[in-house]
Formats: sequence, structure tokens, C-alpha cells
Amino acid sequence: MSRAELLSPEGLRIDGRRPAELRKITSTTCVLSQADGSAYLEHGNTKVLAAVYGPREARHRALVLHDRAILNVELNVAPFSSGERRRRSKNDKRLLEMASFVKQTFEPVVIATLYPRSQIDIYLQVIQHDGGTLQACINATTLALIDAGIAMTDYVCACTAGWIEREAAIDLNYIEESSDTSEVTIAMLPKSSKITLTQMESRLHVDKLEEVFRLAGEGCKQMYEVMDKTIRDRAEDLARKMTV
Amino acid sequence: MPSLISPSERDYILKGIECNIRADGRQRPDYREVILETGVISQTSGSARVRLAGGTDVLVSVKADIGPVLVDPETGEGADKGQIICNVECAPSASQQFEGRGADELNNELTQMMTRFLSHNTTTLSTPSSTTPSSTGASNNNGAGGINLSKLCIIPGEQCWILYVDALVLDYGGNLVDAVFMGTRAAIFDTRIPKTEVQDLGDGNFDFEVLDDAEDTEVVEGREDMPICITLNKIGARHIVDASPLEELCTEAKLVVAVNRSGELCGLQKGQDGGIEPSLLLEMIQFGKTLGQTLIKQLDAKIKAEADADIIKRQNGQPVVKLGFFAQ
Repeated sequence: MSRAELLSPEGLRIDGRRPAELRKITSTTCVLSQADGSAYLEHGNTKVLAAVYGPREARHRALVLHDRAILNVELNVAPFSSGERRRRSKNDKRLLEMASFVKQTFEPVVIATLYPRSQIDIYLQVIQHDGGTLQACINATTLALIDAGIAMTDYVCACTAGWIEREAAIDLNYIEESSDTSEVTIAMLPKSSKITLTQMESRLHVDKLEEVFRLAGEGCKQMYEVMDKTIRDRAEDLARKMTV
Repeated sequence: MPSLISPSERDYILKGIECNIRADGRQRPDYREVILETGVISQTSGSARVRLAGGTDVLVSVKADIGPVLVDPETGEGADKGQIICNVECAPSASQQFEGRGADELNNELTQMMTRFLSHNTTTLSTPSSTTPSSTGASNNNGAGGINLSKLCIIPGEQCWILYVDALVLDYGGNLVDAVFMGTRAAIFDTRIPKTEVQDLGDGNFDFEVLDDAEDTEVVEGREDMPICITLNKIGARHIVDASPLEELCTEAKLVVAVNRSGELCGLQKGQDGGIEPSLLLEMIQFGKTLGQTLIKQLDAKIKAEADADIIKRQNGQPVVKLGFFAQ
């Protein structure tokens, strides 16, 4: 791929954003009828649907933990999600890896000891892919878990940041992601500012790491505002309906 | 997707249907509200989302790709035809039973049904130039699926357009087949294929160029003749349409009727273990046909109204906003 100019002389990015600007985020909860909790989230053109089932009886008795619930994450990518049509098998290594990242992110946050001998299933469906799939998956999962009423210590907000040419930038899109920029995804608990996941692709100079981390952390805080608003609006809406 | 139903609940549904009143207040021949939107996924050639009020949610995308033609080695047919490749997938978000490999059987069943109803040409075809001696005087050369596959061919014997139809079931609320086919029809309606220019290089060699002008596109010919499916569920001595998940559990026999806008029967499929009396079968087919035609008319009107509104917005330079998943 020819190196397109990712940062214009005026300091604007390829889609016209400033380096520390997130894409438009829209989200809603309770979109599915069968699931106990569900959420749909858009980061620009990246679209993810999350469904949560449970806590319920574990499907395989061998996996049961007697003091806590187990988390099970499954990630599917729609065949039409990216530019080229491609069917991914359920055992695609990359998908399994991403599912396990989501699982690891949520294990310390979900208060699993409240639901012993049970299982919580999280199904993620990527409908459209335009960079930042992991962050979108984590954010959608947070909303779906809250919608399902599962006890958590805090929100989990994820955001990516990277180093584009001469500046740190957040929320990279597909073009920026695929032109060999270094990219860090972090997931943060906004109340305590603790980080539950970091993942980095490609290389980055250690001096620049701090700046990238700081920016990603700010992105997470912004994400938190948006997600919290979605949840509060939803709760208010429900409360209003109950009073009528 | 519940898998069990209690005897009392079954009794309630059965007696209700006998009295022509269903659990959600509908009568036997009533369809639920259908929410339909086209052009919801930007990087596809065409897409649609169908939602039946109270559940079922299907997202269908069509992608046009260039590939080699598929020639039948025995008959030599297919050299001048494009292809339609169908795929239906049920996401685990729709039902807990679809987890892992749980949906494989259903996926396969729906994929095969779609392939059969859309792209399979069992009828003898007549090509306008009548190059094949076997051609008879059949008036419709598009087969049961309606789509004119010959128009999808770019260079006969070499390259053609392949339409990949991918349906993704996101939520389950009964009557999956109807929703999948409605979505597919709408997505094909929304599909725009780039125009191609074929150059004759001489010596029987051809080359082609895809025009990448966004305005210079073609619609899929024969899209108006695509069928939709109506599923009729036989419960007791009666039959209903657009069954809810619980009603599906009480169903003895299920009949899928594929019908196009002119009321021609394009496919039939009987499902589940119960039997249907021949007289009732004919009545059900007749009913499915009439309802299908009405539904097609309404869907077409809706799609057309939406497309017109989009064009006006584009001309005025306004952004075309799609509700996508925010349409409840």
C-alpha cells in the first residue's frame, strides 16, 4: 500500500479529525429480544453488536467453578464486514485471540463471586469493520453487561491511540491502522483509572509511549461520558415508562 | 428461542387459534409490523435490514464481485451466466442455542433453500438469440428466482459478476424464513453493480474495464420478479402466518410458499413432522399466494419511497441518515 499522507500539514487526519478527537460514537442498549442484555455501538463506521446471556447454569459441568461464575466470550465477524468479502471460520486464531482479550478484560471487573456455579455468555458480532474493533467490542460488552444487570465494580472503557507520523492520535480508523502505524489499545476503569488491558501492535519508541498512553487514557474518559449517558438515558426512559 | 412449551400454554395457544385470536391479539391471517430499511451497510453493493415487531432481526448484504463463470462440465451450460452465492448465518446473539456449532444445521437448511429459490434454474431456458437448440418457447427466461443471470455475465465463458448474498440473523422472534427472504429481496433491490465496458481484442480475445463512476451503475435485472416466502403454520385444524416462537413450538406442519409479484409459485417446502391433508394444502398454498402478492406490493412501495427520498436528499446535498439499529 502506498503511504498516503496520514497527517495533513495543517495537522488534520485523513478523515478530517484532530489528533485527539474521537470518531462519532453512538450507542444504544436493549436491542435484542432474546438476550438478557444487549447493546449496539458505533465508533464511526465500526459497528458492533453485543449480547449477554446469563448468569445461567453452565453448559458443561466440567467447567463449573464452585465459588464464582465463568465468563464465556464468542466473537463473530460478519462476512460483509470489511471491504473484501471473506468468511471467517469460528476457529480463526485472530478471532479467538480477540475473544480471549475481552474475557481477560472483564474477569477482574465482573463480580463473579456473586454468581457461583453459573456461566455468563457474551456474544459479540462485528457488523462493520473500520478500525478499532477491539475497543468497540469492549465498550459494547460493558453496555450489554450493564443492560443485563450483572454486577460490576466499574465501567470498562477502551480506546486506541497510536503514533501517526509526528503526533500521537487516538481512535485510529482502518486506513490509519493498516498503514504500519503503531497502535496501543487500553481498557480502563474510569473511577480508579486502573488499566485492565493493554495491547500493542507494531513498534513504538519508548519515549513516545507515555504520550500515547496519556492520550488513550483521555480517550477512555471521553468514552466513559458517552457510555454513561447512554445507560442513564435508558434508565430514565425505563423509569418514566414505569410511572405512567 | 425457547425449546420447550408447557401443556397448558400449548392448550391456550391451540384454543386461541381455533377462536381466531392469538396471544398477541392478532387474528390468524395477520402479519406483524415489518420494519424495513435499505442501504444500511456502506461498504456493500446493497444491503437491507428487516425487523419483525417483537423479535426477528435479519441483516442482508449483497456484494458484487468479478469471478470466472461456472460451466457445468456435462451440459456445458452456464458459460453465459453470472452467479448468485447465498449464505445464511444465525448469530449466537439471536438465541442461546446457536452458540458454537449449534446453528450449523439451520444455517445449512436456510442457505440451501435460498440457493434453490433464487439462483437455481430448473426450467428450460430460452435465450433471446436461441443459441441452444434445447430452448423452448418459455416466456420467462429468468428461472424461478427472477434474476436475469445472463445479464450478470461480462465475457461469456470467462468472466462474470458473482453476487454474494449474506444474510445474518441477529435476533430470533419466529418466522425466520419470511424475514430472510424479505431482506434478501430488499437488498437485491438496493444493489448497484458498476457498468463494464468490453473491448474486442480480436482473435476471440476480450478484455473489459470496470467503470468506477459511482453514478454509472446498473440495477440487478429481474429484481422485481424475485420471490418472497410466506410460511404457513398448521396448528390444530387451522393455519396461521407469521408465527411467534411459542406458536412455532405448537406447529404440527409448516409450509413455506415462495411466490413472486405476478402470483406465480416459485417454490414449496414442507417442514416439521405433521401431515397436511391435500385439500388443506391447496387452501394454504392459495392463501400464501394471495398474501405474498399483497406483501410484495407493500414492500415495493416502501422501498421505492425510501429510494426516492434518498435521491431527493442527495440532490439537495443533505446527508442521507440511516437509522440502522436505532430503529426500534
